[in-house]
Amino acid sequence: MTSKKKSVGVVPLGDVPEITLQVIADHITGCFKLTTQILPPFEPPDDALDERQLQYNAGIIIEAMEAMHFANHDKVIGVLNKDLFIPIFTHVFGEARQGGQCGLVSLFRLEKNPDGSTPPKSIIHERAAKVALHELGHLLDLLHCEHRKCLMHFSGGIDEVDEISLDLCEYCSIYLQDKLR
Amino acid sequence: MDKKMSIMVVDDEEIVRESLFHWFKKYGHVVETASSGFEALEKLETYPFQLLFVDIKMPGMDGIELLEKVKTEYPDTIVVIITAYGSIESAVKAMRIGATDYLLKPFKPDQLSLVMERISVQERLVSQYNYLKERLGKITRFDNIIGHSPEIEKVFSLIPEVAQSDASILLVGETGTGKELVAKAIHAESRRSHLPFIAINCGAMPESLLESELFGHQKGVFTGATRARKGFLEVVSGGTLFLDEIGEISPKMQINLLRVLEEREITSIGSREPVEVDFRLISATCKNLEKAVAAGTFREDFYYRVNVIMIEIPPLRKRKDDIPLLVEHFLKKYRQETTKHVDYVTRDAMELLRRYDWPGNVRELENAIERAVVLSKSRTLGVEDLSFIRPPDLQFSKTLSLREMEKVYIQQILEENNWNVTQSAEVLEINRVTLHKMMKRYRLERPEG
Repeated sequence: MTSKKKSVGVVPLGDVPEITLQVIADHITGCFKLTTQILPPFEPPDDALDERQLQYNAGIIIEAMEAMHFANHDKVIGVLNKDLFIPIFTHVFGEARQGGQCGLVSLFRLEKNPDGSTPPKSIIHERAAKVALHELGHLLDLLHCEHRKCLMHFSGGIDEVDEISLDLCEYCSIYLQDKLR
Repeated sequence: MDKKMSIMVVDDEEIVRESLFHWFKKYGHVVETASSGFEALEKLETYPFQLLFVDIKMPGMDGIELLEKVKTEYPDTIVVIITAYGSIESAVKAMRIGATDYLLKPFKPDQLSLVMERISVQERLVSQYNYLKERLGKITRFDNIIGHSPEIEKVFSLIPEVAQSDASILLVGETGTGKELVAKAIHAESRRSHLPFIAINCGAMPESLLESELFGHQKGVFTGATRARKGFLEVVSGGTLFLDEIGEISPKMQINLLRVLEEREITSIGSREPVEVDFRLISATCKNLEKAVAAGTFREDFYYRVNVIMIEIPPLRKRKDDIPLLVEHFLKKYRQETTKHVDYVTRDAMELLRRYDWPGNVRELENAIERAVVLSKSRTLGVEDLSFIRPPDLQFSKTLSLREMEKVYIQQILEENNWNVTQSAEVLEINRVTLHKMMKRYRLERPEG
């Protein structure tokens, strides 16, 4: 049986700095050894905005992305600068369904430190790359991991995003290799 | 948390069910959803979910009502309540009823993680506690003899006491009460525990065979004795010999055994050379041996030899408080043996099991649970799974008054006719109004569920 290398599309939803998109694409190539392509931008659907919460419903955006049929890409990561939530939760940094095609990264809460200060751009890029890789991990069917430093460890707060590394632990690496075979 | 759990999300809002479903999937949990309390209860009947996330506000059956039902039928199931800020009082009520935790929506993802972490720790502690409790139970309760009623506690307290001596013990009790288990427990507690325990059912074999089994024989002494064989009295060498149904042995065998007990030596069939033997004798009977002595069918001197210490094993009908514990024990046993997820017995079914008098005692109860587990199609045993039990049959017991007997009989007829008053009245040959009056007088009501 031959293996076909998966390709990942990185798509901006609205106004997103190009450098951020490039950092995310490069990390996907570097860390997961997958080919990437930055795709043309599109606006998140209007009905994704919850006017009471002034947040965007991640589920609705993902459904809109899946309806676009990205035929040339196995997986697609959308990047936006809006505050994301999923019903019942106050907010999320990113969202992806287990084994799905499309995932999301929100830069909105990555641009502030827990104390309210603004971190250097390099830190924001690193956070965006971690969240993107984590969500891509879910698209590739990786589960949340117990290992505190593993990329697939769940991060509830921004300090936890800073705590995890850009790498997968030994077990998740083996699991990913199996998935990509 | 690293332990994968089986979780059911119960919420009437699809979007909430979906969100939590996908969230828990990311941890590798087995996840199911239900849109109402009724659907949740249906799913619980077929699969033993460990953890339920229940929204407090749902049409039809609300979260509190569902929680109450779950805690009654499946007390081990963990329930976490999801509530809005405005219904915090309901959350407090839920915690009193038995909810493990609650979440105020909307909540931060790490709040949910924290709740899951706490549940994981609790699960681990509960599992360790159950393991240690079981181990301790086995140490102090002589493995497999189950019960906490005063009647069985009395037996428990006697076992370590009598185990220390070498005196002969007579266990008296009805069939199926667990006499052999008590004999084994005494052996296990004694200084002979590392030596053999040999059980022989004296009632199951003819005299000549029993003699050969106990004393052994030389080659060629009778047809079929193609080689010499040691008897159990010799083979047991230092251990414990358990003679069940001792009341069945013949007068000749009584004399032979009496001699062995007095002289501590045997001569095998066809031999002239006596061999020294060392064993502790435990006998058992379901007969009244004193009456047999009085009637001359059982030797008095032999009776006093085997009955140095007498332990009476109570019949199950005299320790009905032990029935739930025994049922739990047998459910667990047959759950493991059959790999069927049958974990609970409904209240009505337990009531039925308690009402029945169990003439075959613990053995009959065990067989009933085994049969019910094997045939059950859900994870809860109900009255319908135990339909082969026929209680309460007419109890012509000396302890029942005429009035009590009338009540028992009417209840039996009502149960046989599925509580149909018209049909029952026909069977009883009284009119419906009279039956209604009698039901009211005796407070006989159709059980719920």
